[in-house]
Amino acid sequence: MTRWGMALDLERCVGCYACSMACKTENGTPDGVWYAPVYEKEVGKYPNVKRMFIPTLCMHCEDAPCLKACPTKAIAKRTDGIVLVDQAKCCGTRACVAACPYGAMNYVHEVQGAFGGELIQLEKQSFKSTAGTVQKCTFCSHRIDAGKFEPACVEVCPTKARIFGDLEDPGSEISRVIRDRNGSPARPEAGTGPSVYYLR
Amino acid sequence: MSSVVNPFTGRWIMEPKTQNVWGNQHATWFTFMGVGGGLFINRMVFGIEMGRFLGMTWADILSLVLIGVGGLILIADLGKPLRLLRSLLNPRTSWISVGAIADFTFMGLAGLWTLADFNVGGGGLNLTGLPWHGDGTLGLVFQVVAALAAIVVITYPGLVLASSPSIPFWNSTLIPMQFLVNGFASGLACGLIYAAIAPSDVTGDVLTGWLSLTTGMLVLSVFLQIAHVLNGTYTHVAAKVAVRRLLSGNLQVAYLGGVMLAGLVIPLALITYALSASGSNASMAAGVAGALILVGNWLSKHTVIRAGTYASLF
Repeated sequence: MTRWGMALDLERCVGCYACSMACKTENGTPDGVWYAPVYEKEVGKYPNVKRMFIPTLCMHCEDAPCLKACPTKAIAKRTDGIVLVDQAKCCGTRACVAACPYGAMNYVHEVQGAFGGELIQLEKQSFKSTAGTVQKCTFCSHRIDAGKFEPACVEVCPTKARIFGDLEDPGSEISRVIRDRNGSPARPEAGTGPSVYYLR
Repeated sequence: MSSVVNPFTGRWIMEPKTQNVWGNQHATWFTFMGVGGGLFINRMVFGIEMGRFLGMTWADILSLVLIGVGGLILIADLGKPLRLLRSLLNPRTSWISVGAIADFTFMGLAGLWTLADFNVGGGGLNLTGLPWHGDGTLGLVFQVVAALAAIVVITYPGLVLASSPSIPFWNSTLIPMQFLVNGFASGLACGLIYAAIAPSDVTGDVLTGWLSLTTGMLVLSVFLQIAHVLNGTYTHVAAKVAVRRLLSGNLQVAYLGGVMLAGLVIPLALITYALSASGSNASMAAGVAGALILVGNWLSKHTVIRAGTYASLF
C-alpha cells in the first residue's frame, strides 16, 4: 500500500519561496492562507551564526489530531495517507486548528483573492475556498490523482530540497534519504506519526 | 537563538507561539456550561432549589438558560452555523461531538423534567400530571440521565483543550478536573448568592452545609490550580512559557489577582467568616463570596485559554 510522504532537506533549502508561490498558484488559496510557508531561523552564537530556512506544510499524520478533533467528520485520511478537509462538511469549530501541532490548518475568515477584492484570472481557475471553513495542504492530491505524482512545491524547488515519494517502498528515493541521513519528523513527541521528514 | 517573521505570512512558529484560535467567547461558553451543569446537579444532589417560579425551581430554569445560551455562543462562533447538526457525527474521537450530544440530551431531558413542574396555580395550566413528574421512576431516570449529561457538559470543554497535543499547557487531565470542580463550586456559588438575596428562605443549618461544601470545592480548586502550574513548569518548554505568562506576564493580574486571590482566597476567607457569623452578616458574606467565585470561574477559563502556547516545530 502506498503512503505518500515528503522529505525536506534543510541543508539544501535556500529560502527562495518558490514552493510557497507555486503552491499558492496551484491551489488558488485566498489572501493570508499559505499551505507551504517557509520560515527563517538564525541558529548559533556570534561569530558562528547561520541562517536556516525551514519549509513547512501539513504533515499528513498517521494519527492525525485534526481528524480526531473534527466533530463533523470533515477531515478524512485516504488509503494513500493523504489527509484532506472537505470544506462542504466543515462547520468551522476550529478544533482542528487548535489540535494541529504544526500550525498547518488555515481558518478562512473571509474569502478574498490574494490581491484583495476580485479574483485574478489565474485564481478563478483553482479557487475553491469557502469562508468559515478550514483549509490545508492536500499534497496536491489532484495532481497525484491525475498521474503527475509530484506536488507543485516539489516540482518547482530549484535545489531539490523537497523529495516526494512512497514511504512504504523501501527502494524509493524518499525512503533511502530518510534512512541514509537519519531523517526525523518535527515534534516527534506529539506522537502523531507525520509523513513529512526533515533532513538536517 | 532567535527567529524572524516569515515575510509572507507574518507568523512565528519557530518559537513557542501564543494561540489565537480560542478567545473570550469560548471562556464564556465554557463558564456557562459549567455553572449550568453545576446548578442542575447541585439541585438534584443537595437540594439547592433557589426558590420557585411557576412551580419550577430557579436552579433548573437557570441551568437550562445558561446551557442553552452557552450552546448559542458556540453556534454563533461556528464558521458555518447551519451545519451545526453535523457536529454530532464524530463522538468516537471528537470531544466537541461528545459535548454537543450531551448538550442536546441535557436540554431535552432536563427541559422536559423541569417543565413537568410547571404549575400556574389557581386553575391555570398545570403540567404536574406528566408521567415523568417528580421523583417517580421515570422522573428519576430523566434526572439521572440529565445529570450524567450535565457532568459531560461541564467537563467536555476541558477535554477539548486537554486533547490538543499542539499546546502542551492544555495537554493535561488537570484541565477537565478543574472544569468539573469549578462547575460544582459555581453551582454552589449561585446558592450562596440566593442566600444573600433571600436569607429567609435559607436556614442557618442549610447555609452552613452549602458553605462547607463550597469550602471543599475551593480548596480542591486551589490544589488543582497549583498542580497545573507546577505541571506546566516541569513538562514542556511551551507550557513553561504559558506558566510564565500567568505568573509574571500579561496575564498576571487576571490570574494571580482574579483567579487565585479574588476567585479563591478571598471567597475562602469570606466563607470562613460566614461560618463563624450569623444572621444577615453570614448570608451577605456568603453572597459576596458566591459572586467572586463566579467571576473567578470565568477568569480561570479566560486565563487558561489565553495562556495556551503552541510548541515550536524544532
